[in-house]
Amino acid sequence: MSEQNNGLNTANEDNTPHPNYWRSFESLYRDPKVIEAKAHEFKEGVTDDFSPSGMSNISRRKFFALLGASAALAGTACTDYRDKGEIVPYNVKPEEITVGKPNYYASTCTACPNACGILIKTREGRPIKIDGNPDHPVNKGKICAKGQANILNLYDPERIKAPQKNSSLTFNEVSWKDADNEIITALGLAGSDEIALITHSITSPTMLKVIDDFKAKYPTAKLYSYELFNDSIKNSAWRKTYGSGNFPLLKWDEAKVILSLESDFLGTEGHKVETSRLFSQNRDVDSKKFTRLYCIDSNITITGINSDYRLHIRPEAQLEFVLSLANEIAKKGNITSAISASGYDLNNFAKKYNLDSKILNYLVSDLIANKGKSIITAGNSLPENVHIAVNLLNDALGNKNLYRTDSSSVSLVDHSTIEEFEALVQKMNAGSVAVVINIDCNPVYHFADDLGFEKALAKVPLSITLTERLNETTAVTHYALPLNHNFESWGDAKVRTNVFSLQQPVIAPIHQTRQKESILLSWISGKSDSFTEYLYLTYLKNNWEKNIYPTLNSKISFDKFWLGALHDGIVKTTSPVISYGAANTGSFDESKIEIKNPEGFTLIIKENYSLGDGRFAHNGWLQELPHPVSKATWDNYAALSEKTCKDFGLKDNDLIEVSVENRKLKLPVLMQAGTADNVIVVESGFGRTNSGTVATGVGFNVNSLLSSKSNLSPWIYSNAKITKTGDTYLVATTQEHHVFDDPLVQDLHIIRKIIQEGTVAEYLKNPSFIKENNEAQLPSVSNPYPYNGVKWGMAIDLNKCTGCGDCVVACDVENNIPVVGKDQVLKSREMQWLRIDRYYSGSPDNPKVSIQPMLCQHCDQAPCENVCPVVATTHSPDGLNQMTYNRCVGTRYCSNNCPYKVRRFNFYNFRDHFRDSYQENPILALMHNPEVTVRSRGVMEKCTFCVQRISEARADATHLKRNLKGSDVTTACQDACSSNAIYFGDINDKEEEFYKYRNHELGYYVLEELNVKPNVTYIAKLRNIHSEEV
Amino acid sequence: MNIDYSQETPLIAGRLDLAQIEELIAQPMDTKPDRKYYIALSISVTALLIGAVSLGLTFYYGIGLWGNNQPVGWAFEIVNFVFWVGIGHAGTLISAILFLLRQKWRTGIARFAEAMTIFAVMCAGIFPAIHTGRPWMDGYLLPYPNQHGLWVNFTSPLLWDVFAVTTYFTVSLVFWYVGLIPDFGSMRDRTTSKIKKTIYSIFSLGWRHSNRHWSHYEKAYMLLAGFATPLVLSVHTIVSFDFAVSIIPGWHTTIFPPYFVAGAIFSGFAMVVTVLIFVRKIFDLQNIITIDHLEKMNKVILSTGMMVGYAYSMEFFIAWYSGVQAESFLFLSRAFGPYAWAYWIMVSCNVLIPQLFWFRKIRRSIPLMLIIVIFVNVGMWFERFVITVTSLNRDFLPSSWAYFTPTMYDIGLLIGSFGFFFTLVILFTKSLPVVSISEVKAVADGAQPTHHGGAYHE
Repeated sequence: MSEQNNGLNTANEDNTPHPNYWRSFESLYRDPKVIEAKAHEFKEGVTDDFSPSGMSNISRRKFFALLGASAALAGTACTDYRDKGEIVPYNVKPEEITVGKPNYYASTCTACPNACGILIKTREGRPIKIDGNPDHPVNKGKICAKGQANILNLYDPERIKAPQKNSSLTFNEVSWKDADNEIITALGLAGSDEIALITHSITSPTMLKVIDDFKAKYPTAKLYSYELFNDSIKNSAWRKTYGSGNFPLLKWDEAKVILSLESDFLGTEGHKVETSRLFSQNRDVDSKKFTRLYCIDSNITITGINSDYRLHIRPEAQLEFVLSLANEIAKKGNITSAISASGYDLNNFAKKYNLDSKILNYLVSDLIANKGKSIITAGNSLPENVHIAVNLLNDALGNKNLYRTDSSSVSLVDHSTIEEFEALVQKMNAGSVAVVINIDCNPVYHFADDLGFEKALAKVPLSITLTERLNETTAVTHYALPLNHNFESWGDAKVRTNVFSLQQPVIAPIHQTRQKESILLSWISGKSDSFTEYLYLTYLKNNWEKNIYPTLNSKISFDKFWLGALHDGIVKTTSPVISYGAANTGSFDESKIEIKNPEGFTLIIKENYSLGDGRFAHNGWLQELPHPVSKATWDNYAALSEKTCKDFGLKDNDLIEVSVENRKLKLPVLMQAGTADNVIVVESGFGRTNSGTVATGVGFNVNSLLSSKSNLSPWIYSNAKITKTGDTYLVATTQEHHVFDDPLVQDLHIIRKIIQEGTVAEYLKNPSFIKENNEAQLPSVSNPYPYNGVKWGMAIDLNKCTGCGDCVVACDVENNIPVVGKDQVLKSREMQWLRIDRYYSGSPDNPKVSIQPMLCQHCDQAPCENVCPVVATTHSPDGLNQMTYNRCVGTRYCSNNCPYKVRRFNFYNFRDHFRDSYQENPILALMHNPEVTVRSRGVMEKCTFCVQRISEARADATHLKRNLKGSDVTTACQDACSSNAIYFGDINDKEEEFYKYRNHELGYYVLEELNVKPNVTYIAKLRNIHSEEV
Repeated sequence: MNIDYSQETPLIAGRLDLAQIEELIAQPMDTKPDRKYYIALSISVTALLIGAVSLGLTFYYGIGLWGNNQPVGWAFEIVNFVFWVGIGHAGTLISAILFLLRQKWRTGIARFAEAMTIFAVMCAGIFPAIHTGRPWMDGYLLPYPNQHGLWVNFTSPLLWDVFAVTTYFTVSLVFWYVGLIPDFGSMRDRTTSKIKKTIYSIFSLGWRHSNRHWSHYEKAYMLLAGFATPLVLSVHTIVSFDFAVSIIPGWHTTIFPPYFVAGAIFSGFAMVVTVLIFVRKIFDLQNIITIDHLEKMNKVILSTGMMVGYAYSMEFFIAWYSGVQAESFLFLSRAFGPYAWAYWIMVSCNVLIPQLFWFRKIRRSIPLMLIIVIFVNVGMWFERFVITVTSLNRDFLPSSWAYFTPTMYDIGLLIGSFGFFFTLVILFTKSLPVVSISEVKAVADGAQPTHHGGAYHE
């Protein structure tokens, strides 16, 4: 410390005590050493080590830079940053992939035994959408709801990801090697004990060869195949009448009159996609070609709602009806059939069952008048003698003309009979079955309880289930081995005589799964390490090269042929012209006729439209697809007629106990208009006990009412009983059940011209009768926007629409629509952008049903647009009503003001809300269409007319330097519609086919009087009823 | 009955002198709150907390917690909004319109009614903000310049609503505050607490009761009354546009603006009467808020109730007369459809029960009028429910019809809004003069110079 400023000290230099401040005695007495020391800043020696060059060379700037950087690092390290996984760019562009452009691969759908050809749309290597393969001669570019929703199965987070071994009720993951070793050893040690292979229908010739190889390696192996719902009765009846083969394919498109007896040929029976197309070709306003459909059934089906005349009788009465009909036709038309049924009289029959004899007379005269141009078809569930009688009646009417000769269905392996399964169970119980292998099937759930399969399975030393996900069967088998999904597998299929279908994978197996053929092949090889990725591909190719290719007489080399076939997805073959011999007139044994007057209730067990036999129960989209008639979701129920409900004091949602013999099941009641009295109709596929988060505990397992002892048929049980339990159970439907006899709401859809209908006769007389009914165009007070360029519009032909709902699922997949769950459907918050409205008119006993697909109408003067306070919904110059999700705050005003109520609001983040964020699983994100925003909580959404497809088409057109045309774009619903009821295109382009429908004389807008100017035209439905009735 | 119509009836009963008036009104602020006050406060705060929890959960999970569904996009949240805006109508009507019409009896109740207006509009204001699906994006509803070039949609009535309600709130608040200034001055002069003195001093804006202050004050008050008067009519007119501008049957009606305004005054007066009955009793203000006051309010309730009843019948008539099927159906469905119970609650509470006010005895009977005004409050809530929900639940396409059932969160928010309102009311009674001291003094006997020297008139 320098003292130089201290004037007091410097003035007094002697050694006398200083009067001022002092810090030590030395200082006080002015010790010169101290004074000297004070003169220096630093003490001696302190600065010896100081040298600027030896100092750290971190500058002040650098110090601050480092300080800042470490603060920033410390700050960011503590934030919520999480590694979102690897994002790897294509450093080397894969040959086939252009980022942002989809690739399409032809393959085959294995969701059901129909084996439709499909085109799988992939983006950057992930499949995102399924459409029908347009080259496939059977499904012709269309695919059903199950096929559409199959994409969800691929990405299902609950697929088993590795082999599972069941050790005392818990599953442990094991390696394929260990599993294979144990299984191969067990198979080898089977000795004389049977190895049972249980599977659904086999549609693949190569799979069949694998099984033959398996049988060769393990000679005691025996194949069993089954389908819960099948056409075996129909086919066996056919064989009794015509000797061999299967029931033929029909020319639905050429039939003038169709009589359906308990048959749902537009729904669950046969090839629905093909039948709908052919059927709707015959309901064409363009060619003015209309078939007339009579339905005589006990429950209202998709076929029933599309009929022109419908009568309901209990299934027990069908035989009597066919005989009475044959007799009447014989009498009136002088047509003798091989059935001599003189004891049966149609008028008496009509009286006995209280049927409208006028309709029956029409039916008889139509059948007589259209000899050779009519089809009588009996439902798969009817007993054999009805089928035989129908075959003979068709034969007598000359309807063999309408049996297709170009192709017929092929069943590679016949289904096992119930006796064979009974024998299997006996052997299993006796301990003479060493191994049971369930190949991609769920017999514990499907088989009737009284077969005792589940108990017997416990006695088998080794039971294996090859499956995609855990199910009721895996719960009681030793091994659950994970299978590849349809889209991860190779394969082939032959279900028609004139075509092979090929299946190729479009994605590498996501999990440690193998395809079922590979698993069997590695067991055949007897070596646990024989599996390779290409094991089955090599086998498949070999089989084709050696066994199939030579039969095709192809002129190109096999390699070229193979690549071409994979590209096309199909191989067409020439099938020999099928001829139908003479009917065996003795096939109908009258002596065996036993007409029982139905007593008590008749229980009918039916296949569910969307879940099938339960195979798709875990698929949320299909669970949420409303039933085409009842509009119920997420449940099955006992459908009863209104009269039956009244008689027993039941109402909707009452829980009743249905019992057949000693089997009982509690079910909720749903009053279904159009059901025959005293008939209980229950659909199968629900009540799964071990089917993951989505399906477990949803609905009721009606299979527990099945019996292995056939009643009227395996699906129809007489003498069922119902008892009221007093409890209730809510069934979630997407449409309210409106009271029929409430004059306030009756026929509102007709009064409000929501549904406009006419008859064919009326139309032929006055083609513009709909237009004459319509409101006059109101003059506009403002200048409407001119829309000079392309303006998008849609036309929906209500004559063709069957109401199946395939389009709804297609829309779900295309537009990333979440599953909301039963609780939200009960609250009327389903998210489907497209819905199929169903209206009843007439009596609840036998209603007339009208169907109308309803989606955003893209109104020119959209009422939703002007009420949005934040301009989140606007109109585009090409006529689209657009939603800007980012801008939407969710006032819901637009939805309130929408007269069609087609807007959908995200009341929750439904992906998070449904089943504890099941849909938030990262793997499901792979499924989303990358071109469509995934909407979150609080925003409004609605049909966009597939604007992403329009944008893509526009980009392509720009790229090719041509104008965008209406026909460049198809919407997802249009692509899916198997009856081609939806047309989409440019309203202003007069050259297009769409223009014809947009301006059709039968076209009308829903709620035209509101003058909102919709861009969706509905073509009024024409009912082909007799002109005398008009 | 012998009533002398040549003389005005005294507005203040009990021959209170000016000091007594001030003493009486300032009493609640000078004393510590008692046990009853805390009980009342804890009840209302509990209700408020129920609302806060419901709101918190709604923010967390989404408005899916409410009962709203696909056709019924608006339900309790909008019903509550319209209800509270309606309640907020009495105050400004009493203080502005009656002021301009020189209705001196308004002085006893104007302050309280205005306060209730402000609190009711605060309650109402919550709902448009929370009813959105993404309340964190509510800023989009405000027209602010931004780099996106995005602007709000001025054709949407919902936006007009935002402006109407905020304007109304601002003007009502300013009007109320201006009216309070002389009283703040009085309170400042009375109080001995230093803290209170500071607060009152700030809010009294240097009020010194000078002649010049009074003359400025009265001019300002008159101008603000003029400002506020059209707002009384405009707010609910614009709220009614939310419905009337749409195309949904039951909403798309030209009768809505006057119908809504009448209904708002009706419900507002009923709510003011409900609260005043308690306030005059608890704070011993029977001499200032006299039975005559209540009777006059009951007359307004009777007349507006009949206007509302007229609107109900006219809606039916027009629905039939117009020949619009969807509309005539909707009105039949209201009366006889699934929500008939709500409709008949509304009709009986709003039209039938207020008819009892034709009887003078009932108009002047505290217990009976309390029952009737509570019915009116209930009825007016149901009126909004009927308009909002029953129109949406059965509109054009029968396929999309669905019944709305409220959830516990809907009810929680409704309770919460009442909790919020009454908490504010209760806090208000202890912190500000519930009756305007200066105005009441002005209408007290002898306060005005008269030709007979201000003597008590016989």
